[in-house]
Order: sequence, then C-alpha cells, then structure tokens
Amino acid sequence: MATYLEFIQQNEERDGVRFSWNVWPSSRLEATRMVVPLACLLTPLKERPDLPPVQYEPVLCSRPTCKAVLNPLCQVDYRAKLWACNFCFQRNQFPPAYGGISEVNQPAELMPQFSTIEYVIQRGAQSPLIFLYVVDTCLEEDDLQALKESLQMSLSLLPPDALVGLITFGRMVQVHELSCEGISKSYVFRGTKDLTAKQIQDMLGLTKPAMPMQQARPAQPQEHPFASSRFLQPVHKIDMNLTDLLGELQRDPWPVTQGKRPLRSTGVALSIAVGLLEGTFPNTGARIMLFTGGPPTQGPGMVVGDELKIPIRSWHDIEKDNARFMKKATKHYEMLANRTAANGHCIDIYACALDQTGLLEMKCCANLTGGYMVMGDSFNTSLFKQTFQRIFTKDFNGDFRMAFGATLDVKTSRELKIAGAIGPCVSLNVKGPCVSENELGVGGTSQWKICGLDPTSTLGIYFEVVNQHNTPIPQGGRGAIQFVTHYQHSSTQRRIRVTTIARNWADVQSQLRHIEAAFDQEAAAVLMARLGVFRAESEEGPDVLRWLDRQLIRLFGQYNKEDPTSFRLSDSFSLYPQFMFHLRRSPFLQVFNNSPDESSYYRHHFARQDLTQSLIMIQPILYSYSFHGPPEPVLLDSSSILADRILLMDTFFQIVIYLGETIAQWRKAGYQDMPEYENFKHLLQAPLDDAQEILQARFPMPRYINTEHGGSQARFLLSKVNPSQTHNNLYAWGQETGAPILTDDVSLQVFMDHLKKLAVSSAC
Amino acid sequence: MAELYVKPGNKERGWNDPPQFSYGLQTQAGGPRRSLLTKRVAAPQDGSPRVPASETSPGPPPMGPPPPSSKAPRSPPVGSGPASGVEPTSFPVESEAVMEDVLRPLEQALEDCRGHTRQVCDDISRRLALLQEQWAGGKLSIPVKKRMALLVQELSSHRWDAADDIHRSLMVDHVTEVSQWMVGVKRLIAEKRSLFSEEAANEEKSAATAEKNHTIPGFQQAS
Repeated sequence: MATYLEFIQQNEERDGVRFSWNVWPSSRLEATRMVVPLACLLTPLKERPDLPPVQYEPVLCSRPTCKAVLNPLCQVDYRAKLWACNFCFQRNQFPPAYGGISEVNQPAELMPQFSTIEYVIQRGAQSPLIFLYVVDTCLEEDDLQALKESLQMSLSLLPPDALVGLITFGRMVQVHELSCEGISKSYVFRGTKDLTAKQIQDMLGLTKPAMPMQQARPAQPQEHPFASSRFLQPVHKIDMNLTDLLGELQRDPWPVTQGKRPLRSTGVALSIAVGLLEGTFPNTGARIMLFTGGPPTQGPGMVVGDELKIPIRSWHDIEKDNARFMKKATKHYEMLANRTAANGHCIDIYACALDQTGLLEMKCCANLTGGYMVMGDSFNTSLFKQTFQRIFTKDFNGDFRMAFGATLDVKTSRELKIAGAIGPCVSLNVKGPCVSENELGVGGTSQWKICGLDPTSTLGIYFEVVNQHNTPIPQGGRGAIQFVTHYQHSSTQRRIRVTTIARNWADVQSQLRHIEAAFDQEAAAVLMARLGVFRAESEEGPDVLRWLDRQLIRLFGQYNKEDPTSFRLSDSFSLYPQFMFHLRRSPFLQVFNNSPDESSYYRHHFARQDLTQSLIMIQPILYSYSFHGPPEPVLLDSSSILADRILLMDTFFQIVIYLGETIAQWRKAGYQDMPEYENFKHLLQAPLDDAQEILQARFPMPRYINTEHGGSQARFLLSKVNPSQTHNNLYAWGQETGAPILTDDVSLQVFMDHLKKLAVSSAC
Repeated sequence: MAELYVKPGNKERGWNDPPQFSYGLQTQAGGPRRSLLTKRVAAPQDGSPRVPASETSPGPPPMGPPPPSSKAPRSPPVGSGPASGVEPTSFPVESEAVMEDVLRPLEQALEDCRGHTRQVCDDISRRLALLQEQWAGGKLSIPVKKRMALLVQELSSHRWDAADDIHRSLMVDHVTEVSQWMVGVKRLIAEKRSLFSEEAANEEKSAATAEKNHTIPGFQQAS
C-alpha cells in the first residue's frame, strides 16, 4: 500500500526509526506466530538540520521507577497544570517555568511534530575532546612516512582546544611526554609484560584530578583543571612540537631477521593507552586511535608468532581448533574493550597491511566501544588517507559529526518488554519492569552505552509483546516506546535526544491484511540479518543458515495459508525472499573466500549502519547504463550482464563499474574521442559521475573497481549476481541472454521453488 | 577558492584504490545527500529472469560503431562531478605568486606578535625560514604557492576563518610539501587573531573609560 510506504518514510525522516511491523499484534501468542520479531532500527543521532535543539532541560515523570520524558502522547490538563505520564499514568505537576502554557501556547515537546526533540544541558563543566594516537612503528619506510603525514594533517583538523597524546610502539612501547620546551621525553615500557591500570598510572606518575569532573569550574581556558596531564595537551599549545615529534618518528630500531616478523606489542600498547586515559580523564569523550601495520607478535594479545613460516590463522585453522593464540588474545582485548567502555572512551582501529593484522581478536575494541574499524592495504593509499580525513567531517553547523559517551534508555508501555539490542554498544545492566527475560542480542537491560557514535550509527532493538491472549486491548489502543539518548556533542555540550513513538495494536485474527500491509520488509530483512550475524559469532555457520531458512519458511507458511496452491507474495513481502537469498550468500554469513579479519571487518560495519546502507550490503545495488534510456536499476542477476550495457554495482565496500563486451570493444577502438560519437563519451562518463557521488561521501571509503567483460576483476560482479544461468542450465531458457556464471551455487529461482514447496507444505 | 579536483588513487599500493578527492570537493559534499542509487527491482514471481525489452541479437556482438551523435542526444548524465584531473584556472594566467609577496606579510605578522612568548615566536620564525628556503629552492608546486598568496591576502584582510580554511586545504591536499612549516603559519593565524581581538577589546575598554572621563558629574551621559 503506497500510503504505508509514505508513512514509513516520514517516520524514518522525522524520528530515525524503522519498525519491522508498523501495526502491532496485540498478544504474545500472536506475535510469536508472526515469526519476524517486533523490532526497530534506531538511529539515535539522525541528522535533523530542521530541528534546532531547545535550550532547557527535559521535564521528567516524578515516579522514580519511570522518569519518562514529557512527550506529545501525554494527556495534559492545562488549567490545573498537570500532565499524565503515558507510560506509568502518574500525574505530574508542571514545573513553575511552564506556568504560562495553554492549548494555544504549547511547549515544543508536547507538539506532535516534535516526536523527536533535542535538549541542551546547561549545567556542568564541558570537558574537551581527547584524541590519543597509538602508532605502530614497525612499518615500511613509505608507509610510515604516509602515516606520519596523515597524523600531522589531522592536527589541522582537530579543534584547537581538543587534547591530544601520542604513544608509539614496536618491540617496546613509548609514551611521549608532550611539552613546549626543552628536550622531548618519553616513558618506555617492555612490550612483553602486561601491567594493571594502577601500575601504569604509578609508573607514569599520574594522580587523579583534584576535583571530581562534575564540580570543576574552569577559571580560564588555559588553567582548566582538565588539562593537567603531561601526556595529553591541547592542540593549540602543542601542535608545533607534536608536528616535529611526529616528523622525527623512526621505524622501530630493532632489526628483523630474514624469515621473521617484526616484534609488535600491540596488546601492551593498547593496555597502556586505556590505563592512561582511565587515570586522567575517565567519563569524558575520548578516542584511542590505534594505527597498526601488522599483527601483534609479542606479549599479551599476540595473534601470531614471529616466524613467517607459520601463517596467521585462517577460518580453516579456527574450525580445526588450530588457532593457538586466538582465545587468549581475544580475552585480552575483550577485557580492554569492556574497561574502555566503562570509562566512556572508544577505540578505533586503523589496520593497513597486505596480510591480516588480528582484527578478529581485536574487533571487540571497536565493536563494544563504538569505535571505527578501517582496513586497508597500506597507509600510503587514498583509501586510508581519505577515510581518515572523513572522521573529521563537519556537519551543516560546522561541528564534528562524531559524538561521545552516549547512554540509550528505552521505555515501553506495559504491553511490551525489551528483549535486547544489537549494535556498537555495551549493556548497562539496568533491570526494570520493561526488561524481558527472553534475550535477543545484548539483553537483560533497558539501557546501553555507546561510547562513540555519529549520525549514521544505528542500533537494532528487539521487543517482546507480553500482553496475554485473553486480555483485550481497547479499540484503537496504541503501544508506545520512548528512546532517550544522553550524549556529549562534539562542541562538548551535553545533550539529550528524546524520541517517542506510538503504533496501533491489532488483533491478528481479524486484521491480518492490515498487519501485513504495514510490514516493513526492508527493516525486517536488516533486523533478521543482524540477528543472524549476531548468532554467527557464537554458532556454526551451517546452523545459522538453517535457522534463517526455517524463519523464512515459517514466515511464508504463515501468510499463504489461505491459498496454498498458488504462492503469491503481496507487495509488502515481495522483496523479502530476495533479501534472504542474498544474505545467505553474503560475506556476513559465508566466511568462505574471506579471511577471519575480512569477515570481522564486514560484520563490524554491518552491525552499525543505517537501513539504506545495510540493505546495500545485503543485496548490492545494480544500475544499468545504455543508449536505450536513462540509467535504471536492474535485477541483481546474470541476465542483467549484457554486451551493450555498462553496469554500476555498489556493494557498500566496493564500487564496481563493468563494461559489457560491445562497450569495451568500442572503447578500445577509441570512439569516445571522435566528435561525431560524443554521446558514447557521455555514456562512458555517466556511471563514473554517479560512482563519484557515492565515493565522495561514504565512510569508510569503498574500493573502486573499473573493469570490463573478460577482465579478471569482473569476478567481483559475477560473484554477487544471482546465477540464474550457470554452465549447468545454459540452454534451459532457449535464448542466450546474459552471461553464464560458472558456479554450483543455487540460483534464486531454485531457492524460490524450494521455498514455495516448503512454505505451502508447512502451512497445510 | 579551494581547488576542486579528483586524482586517481595509488595504484602501486592498492590496485583498487579509490580516487582521491581534493579538500574542496570533500567539504562540498557535506549536508544531506540524495541517495542517488538505491532502487531495486523485484524478482519475477514466476521464476524466469526478466528479459530486457531491447537486447542485442544473440551471437558475437557486431563490431559496428556505436550509434552516432546525430541521433537525439541523450540527456546529460546524472550527477555533475567535475571531470577528473582538470584544475579550474580561476586566476588569469600571469606570473605565479611571488615569494616576497607571501613572505613579507607573514614576517610582518610575526613581528606584530612578538609580544607573546618567545619560544612560540622562535618556532614560527624557524618555520617561516623553512618556507622561504623551500620556495626559493623551487621545491613548492604552483598550486601551493598560489594558495599561500591567497592565504596571506586573507590574513592581511583579517579574515581569519578563510585563512584557516586555506591552511587546512593545503594540509589535506599537499601534506608532503607543506607539513614541515604549515603548522607555523597556522599558529601565526591563531596568534594574529587573538592579538586582534585583544586589541579590539582594549580599544573598546579605553573608549568606554574615555567616555566616562568626559562625563560631567551630575549629568547622565546619553548612551
């Protein structure tokens, strides 16, 4: 139904929320039968250029176990200046400042168009942002030079009052003392021995700040009590010295003999970084940025030994339980990640090397804290340089898009409970009446912490309908959910973003059509995919695929009960099986042909992107350019690969431009250079221009593949399209259209046939 | 003012390295982006792949030329990125920026800031010397020189933000050439800016006290 698509889109634009179901089943039993859980994708800091924040604090419900924020769903008695909380029904008095409100003079937070509203918190000291660079010096000369230049450049992009620090590591770990005069000093630690936070703080001579953060009142910016660490200094004071210091960095001096890897003490370096920030600036926005050019080979957190002849673990090794260091290393980084998240800091990993660097073991550092993971071949590539620059992109107001130290608090009306969340967060273990015992994702809590986030960070939040089957819901009744996100804005202001939504309950027996029409297949696909990828972290691959298949069969069995002989998909379900088909073949669930590091990298980005980008990852976009008309989307299918077409495929991680055979021949013959064939020149340029639009904005920067029929890099396209024609069925259609794919993979057609059979038989 | 260009990525280190966009192009890209390519086509429910309406005849493609331009020209391509590699010459082609025109104002600005800490000024001075050495030695490219001239103009006109933006664009686009001395220029802009606002504040204060001194006791000065 066209109207539901509009409804869904408007809600996403306004509230940053996409629900799997937009009309909710009114009982637990019915909800379970719907197969796809009631869940939503929430982008807490969705960019809203049209929503200026209000400069006062939110009004809260006075019930201590509730504390919901005043919102448009609340009943208000303007005469008596009372409001009724829509979650717990408590009646609350308005604060004195609201004395002048009336039906015609409403505060913004009561107006329906402000279902999402942002408050600025005025009280409390505003602490500066902190950036701690942790730099691997076991790099090749060119790489190290390129990395140094990128770091020097970043000093020009940081805000002048941000604090910055530097730790370098190789065989030893060096913590650099930043000062404006005299000789530069550093503290050197052995890379083999892990230290506790206290030991690190003692050895660095750190003392806790004299005043707790909340009470500090800065006299002048220069004498700010926060800027008390010798290791973390404001950019405006230290940029010249730090530029020189970076310029003078040398490769790790310890010689690396033939057949050996350099000794890299990443585990201890990170440990020291975490301990340093813990001791000096807990509970304030900070990024630890780890730049590494190879795997950790020494000390706690080592991922592989220094003998080159023993390769780093592959998926095969892991399956055969042949990965010696994996468990211990993962545990080391998990402990660091949890401590960092508890301190409100985040860890980014920038890994540039031709071989693996241990992202599998270190991924929790980025995943639990909301930090970034960037994977490249070398620091001397445009992919790294530009991706790194984009971290410092500014929004329409000239502020950094990055935000820090967020806590997300979810409240539900009593018919719903919270089963869990999947995304770049950790649990705050807050129990309460809204928390379900059945966990999906990170559960057992109604609050999570997201230490690093930006306007695209998206969490999947899963709910459970708990209303009993025989408890009727009043006609026209609505369920409600409120999302409250406290965070530190990049301008260092503390803000609160509140989103309150409501949806209608419906009885499945009598209103199935209505519920079906309100199904959001795109959101449902991404939410199920996140569940699948979450499971894949702890279960065997084939088990996850079986689970996914079972869910799909049950879903369609449910909705085709009435007409088992002709399996028809209504509009609101038409793309869903396709999404599931491509998800099964995606690198998120198929580890074949990817290293463990690559799989970790893809999964990291999948678990945090918004809906549109997540869908691109599941089922890449394919556009066709030809003389026959304007560019058009085409089926991601081998039949779309034609001689007289140019294809542009976006998988999120790669942009592929593929020239059909005839186009390639014409290009080789040079027609684009002849004035009478100018339209051919335009045709060649069109996909390049569209690709450029994508490349200009995306984070992380995708790889760019420009290939043609018969080119070796055409494999990127061929491996993604549905192989409706293979060497097995080439002549089945009677005509040779499109390119056959050499594979034994199941095609979408075969998949759909099986689905129909199984869904119908399970329904009968 | 900033350059707008795209150059290819580092093909030696990464065969699929994406192209590099200049700082000007990247900052332009901010703001809500239209998701240009996000549409999908549903698979046909009966299972056969959709056969596109117009297709070339089966068999090896003909080696004939593409349809000539005399046909109704296609609508211009969607998306209007600048052609790669072309640098718009927004200045008339004349003699390139003169070193003295750039160095002199910078030295002057430094002199103005001598009131501040000695260490900082020595550091800045050292870097300006390095800039001079590199310029004189022909080590700086034309775009860098051009933009430095612009930066100095902005600095002299007290347009601090614009000068800062140019310094940033130089650091992003030409870091290899400028990294050693650019931080000195950056600091100089910051020092000049704070000196200027201090002077302005002092002027306001002294104007206010002057006014007060001129007030005849017993009368309220109209403000």
